[in-house]
Amino acid sequence: MEEFPQGLQNSKDFSGGDSKKCQRTVPCQGYFAPQRIEEALEILSRYGKEIKIIAGGTDLLVQYYDRLYEINNWLDLKNIKELKEVKINKNQMIIGAMVTHTQLESSEDIKTYYPVLSQAAADIGSPQIRNRGTIGGNIVNASPAGDLLSPLMAYDAQFKLQSNQREMIVPAEEFFIGPKKTILQPNQLLTRIILPLPEEKTYGCWIKIGKRKALAIATIILALVVKMAEDNKTVKDVRTCLGSVAPTPIEIKEVRKKMAGKNFNQLDFAELGQIVEDKISPIDDIRGTREYRKDVAKEIMINALEEIDSARRERNY
Amino acid sequence: MSKLTIGFIINGQKKTIETTTSTRLLDLIRDDLHLTGTKEGCGKGECGACTVIMNGELVASCLILATQSDGAVITTIEGIGDNECLDPVQEAFIETGAVQCGFCTPGMILAAKKMLEENPHPDEEEIKRGISGNLCRCTGYQKIIDAIKLAANRLSSKNGGRSEKDD
Ligand SMILES: Cc1cc2nc3c(=O)[nH]c(=O)nc-3n(C[C@H](O)[C@H](O)[C@H](O)COP(=O)(O)OP(=O)(O)OC[C@H]3O[C@@H](n4cnc5c(N)ncnc54)[C@H](O)[C@@H]3O)c2cc1C
Ligand code: FES
Ligand code: FES
Repeated sequence: MEEFPQGLQNSKDFSGGDSKKCQRTVPCQGYFAPQRIEEALEILSRYGKEIKIIAGGTDLLVQYYDRLYEINNWLDLKNIKELKEVKINKNQMIIGAMVTHTQLESSEDIKTYYPVLSQAAADIGSPQIRNRGTIGGNIVNASPAGDLLSPLMAYDAQFKLQSNQREMIVPAEEFFIGPKKTILQPNQLLTRIILPLPEEKTYGCWIKIGKRKALAIATIILALVVKMAEDNKTVKDVRTCLGSVAPTPIEIKEVRKKMAGKNFNQLDFAELGQIVEDKISPIDDIRGTREYRKDVAKEIMINALEEIDSARRERNY
Repeated sequence: MSKLTIGFIINGQKKTIETTTSTRLLDLIRDDLHLTGTKEGCGKGECGACTVIMNGELVASCLILATQSDGAVITTIEGIGDNECLDPVQEAFIETGAVQCGFCTPGMILAAKKMLEENPHPDEEEIKRGISGNLCRCTGYQKIIDAIKLAANRLSSKNGGRSEKDD
């Protein structure tokens, strides 16, 4: 086996990189922290299901709280600089999978172009969680209550998935297939999140309802993004994305149809709220009942439309 | 279980230490380095008792693998003051009665210290946000908030220097 440069300080001391210690009678334990994506992909293809990718670890270490010993090999992405960058490339924003919530929250570009995403990141957990938790981990973990997922969908995010065979770019909507289920294969790494730069008159609103301010898992999440035409009155396009109300984050497409081409002043907010209420299929759980979630969904949709309306009016003056 | 060696700087000291891939940073700090100021409450990222500062960031050491700290610079509560010379945040906690059982205190103080570094004049809301990852079962938080305000005042009037006792 080759050695991985500048991983662990004494890379020969760890069994994953030392063939003499690794006789495979007992599963051998290893920890890899490569510096380049290609190396990571190489390791992934070699170990497949026998290795666990770790980013911030804030989901994994809770999941494996009393059984960390079950994981024989770790692939830590912490040394891959490329995955920690937020950058604009032509008309796209490229966010590396290892960008933390703190980084998202404090990036001026994210604040300017994607305020809903910025605010969602700021609302996550606590400083300790935001400092370690990453956008990539949030996406791959695919919790129906994952805070970044509905904002990402609302901004038409695409995800770049890479294996050492090929790479592909998939829309967020196609990535999530169930609670904690995605199309990601064991030999694939999520490397980038790609967002189109929004047009000038784009407004957004983020509402998260939880039991308390910090460290709360969302009972319901709404990310509403409205694109206005040049006149700042005609609705060009809308994304109404909700979390915690279905097995995956969802978009209520009926709202798109209802709002597109209309004058914002003539919209019936209550009707739009009702559409949201009717189209979601939440469940009862300890964080709220089905009925509660439906009522709240309607209310927050109305609030979000009002908020966008006032932001829009402010701009007119 | 096979072992591996990692190296880091903790409280200003360089350490090389043997660990395993299923050891958490919290276990390494408490069991191997015997720095027992760092506590384990929930073990799941929710209480902040295990808080340390790693590479300049406030983190929960129960959610970090020991191996992930290879090459890092870490500060625990033992690293910010000693019996002769307490950190101004520690002094403020004592003076305002922000310590009862003391279990949350190390994490709380590190959270407060980190927040004041980033924002020397926090308002009450900002203080609450800064310690939102740290739970206290005893004090009801008000005295902790008072302590942080006191520390903020002292630190800014003393130009950020280490405070000696007032007067
Ligand atoms: C106390 C606490 C509070 C929390 N509060 C919130 C909250 O308010 N909102 C919220 O949304 N979440 C919350 N979380 C969940 C968690 O912090 C986030 O989902 C976080 O973004 C996960 O990122 P991570 O880097 O820590 O993931 P990790 O735990 O490192 O990884 C999660 C999963 O993704 C995989 N993975 C990670 N990166 C990649 C990649 N690049 N390619 C392929 N697979 C990858 C891992 O193998 C693992 O299966 C909380 C967690 C805790 C412990
Ligand atoms: S023990 Fe780590 S946060 Fe509670
Ligand atoms: S003083 Fe007892 S938990 Fe805070």
